[in-house]
Amino acid sequence: MSTSGQDRPFADGFMDDYFAEADEHMVAVRRSLMALESALGSTLPSAALEDLFRSFHSLKGISAMVELREAELLAHHMESCLRAVRQGTLTLTTANFEVLVDGVRMLEHVIASRRTSTPQPLVDEVVEKLDALGRSGVEAHRPAALTATDASNEPSQPGARARLLRVTFVPSPQLVERGVKVDTVRARLMQIGEVRNVTPTVLPGGGISFEFVVETSDASPLAQWKDDGLTYGPLDAAAAVELRGAEEADAATSQERRLTELTLTGSSNVVRVDLARLDELMRLVGEMVVTRSRLEDTLRRVEAHVPFQEWRALQDHSARLERNLRDLREGVMRVRLVPVGEIFRRMPFVVRDLARDNGKRVKLELTGHSTEIDKFLVERMMDPVLHIVRNAISHGIETPEQRIAAGKPADGIIRLGAATAGETVIIEIADDGRGIDIASVAQRARTLGLVVPDDGGLESRALLDIICASGFSTRDHADRVSGRGVGMAVVRDTVEGLGGILAVESKPGHGTTFRLTLPLTLAITDAIISHVGDQIFAVPQTAVREVVEVDENLLHAFERNELMPYRGGTLPMVRLSEMFSISAVKRPRYHAIVVGTGQTALGLIVDRIAGQREVVVKTITDPLIRVDGVSGATELGDGRVVLILDVAALSRARRQHARVITGVSA
Amino acid sequence: MSETSVAAPEAAAAVQSYILFGVAGTTYAIRSQQVLHIEMIDHVTPVPNAPVFVEGVVFSRGQVVPVINLRARFGFERAAITLRSRLLVVQHEGRRVGLLADESREFIRISETAIRPPQEAIGGLSGNYLEGVATLGERIVLVLSVRELVETVPNALS
Amino acid sequence: MVRAALGSLHDATFVEAGSGLRAIEVLGMEPVQMVVLDLNMPDMHGLDVIRFLRSHDRYRDLPVIVLTTRGDDTSRHAAIEAGASQYLTKPFAPSVLLSSVRELLDARVSRRR
Repeated sequence: MSTSGQDRPFADGFMDDYFAEADEHMVAVRRSLMALESALGSTLPSAALEDLFRSFHSLKGISAMVELREAELLAHHMESCLRAVRQGTLTLTTANFEVLVDGVRMLEHVIASRRTSTPQPLVDEVVEKLDALGRSGVEAHRPAALTATDASNEPSQPGARARLLRVTFVPSPQLVERGVKVDTVRARLMQIGEVRNVTPTVLPGGGISFEFVVETSDASPLAQWKDDGLTYGPLDAAAAVELRGAEEADAATSQERRLTELTLTGSSNVVRVDLARLDELMRLVGEMVVTRSRLEDTLRRVEAHVPFQEWRALQDHSARLERNLRDLREGVMRVRLVPVGEIFRRMPFVVRDLARDNGKRVKLELTGHSTEIDKFLVERMMDPVLHIVRNAISHGIETPEQRIAAGKPADGIIRLGAATAGETVIIEIADDGRGIDIASVAQRARTLGLVVPDDGGLESRALLDIICASGFSTRDHADRVSGRGVGMAVVRDTVEGLGGILAVESKPGHGTTFRLTLPLTLAITDAIISHVGDQIFAVPQTAVREVVEVDENLLHAFERNELMPYRGGTLPMVRLSEMFSISAVKRPRYHAIVVGTGQTALGLIVDRIAGQREVVVKTITDPLIRVDGVSGATELGDGRVVLILDVAALSRARRQHARVITGVSA
Repeated sequence: MSETSVAAPEAAAAVQSYILFGVAGTTYAIRSQQVLHIEMIDHVTPVPNAPVFVEGVVFSRGQVVPVINLRARFGFERAAITLRSRLLVVQHEGRRVGLLADESREFIRISETAIRPPQEAIGGLSGNYLEGVATLGERIVLVLSVRELVETVPNALS
Repeated sequence: MVRAALGSLHDATFVEAGSGLRAIEVLGMEPVQMVVLDLNMPDMHGLDVIRFLRSHDRYRDLPVIVLTTRGDDTSRHAAIEAGASQYLTKPFAPSVLLSSVRELLDARVSRRR
């Protein structure tokens, strides 16, 4: 990222930073709005008002820098409204609060449109409403807004108007000794209002005094501090106007300065890192892993030719190198980890909107927001999680009347949680709504030509398959509106494309839980190396439950499947040699890799397992070789490609092949 | 590699360089600017359920590259990979694809005017991928379209 | 860290100010020969501090070393234009800071003479 002197390239180069910063502000905006909404009708929390005002102010500034006019306009008007509210000239009611909410929604829309290079929405209507709102307060009170003529010791009253005061602080060694320094004074002033300006002045004797311009509606604490070197008085109107002018001018230059210093935040230990650079680091580490593998292979080959002592030394070095690399890999991967709460933080706002739109009442419970996952996953998972939440609200949770009739509390609950389990992260979205109507799902499945057992029991994997099948929906119109059917297929594809698993559990009348299991990291993974005929495949460790030995004699053929006794039940088995049309020699014993859990467990039969290795995952992108069952490729040190299997797709392919949905106990 | 120049009837005509390679006894050419590099090859990892003419995948400069068996693509019987076999890694619209040929040794410049559109008489599967036919003295060289080679997928992938 | 780098200046005393305003406060109360300044401070940006200092006779000649992570030319020019005497980037070699400090102090002393 570079700074440039000209205007146009200056703006273009900063779009990424603009979006990053805009996102941060929008999060703060949503948070503040939530806080304000719950306080409508009584005293509004000044902190939330402050934050909201500042956020709009900043958004206005950065939007102007990148010439996103619609955003600047919206932010400007919302800032004006907020200013009116802070000054007490505008009271927020449930009705006009909605105008603000619409404004924020539109602003999000505008930023998103810019991000995806789609045409901007028409903002005129919303802007007009905001403009009207902002001016409705100011018109009535304009003359009184800036001059303060009352006595300065006014006790605080709810809704008292904010005034501008000039507070002068003269530091002295005695005060410093007592712990009263300029930053303590500043902190105090920030607590009672907003510090608009600080100007140091050199006094005739050489000392320095500080002049603060503070906007506050409660000046009473100042009286208590007069022994601390503070004097204060109202700011006269002329100075106030001058202040306003200086602030506008400052805003532009400070925004510019902040934009140029975006990659540093001097006061905190945070560095923003370009994801592309991280990917490059990961790739380099991956190459080192491969090189070390090759080194080990070569060492093995030269063992016979090297004196024992030296060979031992080489082995030690190689082992140490492996440990170092593992630590390095982990270190680099940790840089990519961000709290999964990033996905969660938009949820309260979304839930609130959707609940309102659907006439439902919903409480959102979030857990595990500090669980860490790869940043890449956060970006990819945002939409799927949003989609599932939308579905839960529009279809899962009943209306308050229906809930009360069913003996449930009027407020529906949606629980969004994340937790790590070994090398995976599990994200759960659970609702306590009506659950999936299995009967109508089964009915619909039958009309689509799928075979469904009559007892009505549908194991979760089958249920998911049906729900995700394109063209499937139980209430066509409504579902298309909420995007169900088509959307769920995309959700599953996204999750599985990332090497994860999507599962659903539902209890009629009680609710539905979606569980997304995702790998913790992406590029390097542990894999079970398996031989099938003359080919070698890698199965990601995350997908493997266990590895078992299979005695040919214990396999039973059952219809088109083979089953094996396993943990008190039976396990369906699949021969990879058959699935991949690889000529294989019959053996008395095989190895099987058990994947999936419970109802979806499956055993993949291979000739033998050659061990577990760390592998670097290379993606397969060319359409010619994008096939079901293969999720990527790797290399084991000899330059030959080893395909990485997509276990989920294999299971699916096998089941579709059978076209029978059964519940199999395992 | 040897470099041969072919004199064009009209000196002002455009001349481009081509890489020649042989598949089942016939000589083909593709524009050298489309070829990233040529490598020897000894093993290709098969990919299950890939189209029949896709031999499999190999690593090339660290990337996974599909390998199209040109013999299979042109309807000939497959042959074992030998020391003379060559993998021509071509690029097309951001994709890298490998073409497996029996041999490839020549780098040649051909004038535009020496290339004529493919005649209907040239039958067989390789007719679909031809951009033209070049006559270089006694030799006939079939000029191939990389686009047709790597894009047209007769059987849609599931 | 800065203090550690300058540890070998035996006859120097160090005052640490955690913010721009505090730094100015200290300047107003004690005689100071040199300022080592970070730029990105919450209450008052380093450049504003320098501009304030340069606008008053009393502090016009006060040596100010700017120490920052931003190493590009634009930032450097801005700082020098505002009145910084020297511009160093982090991470810095202690010897570099040391020699800058010595250099500026000596210059000051010789200017006085």
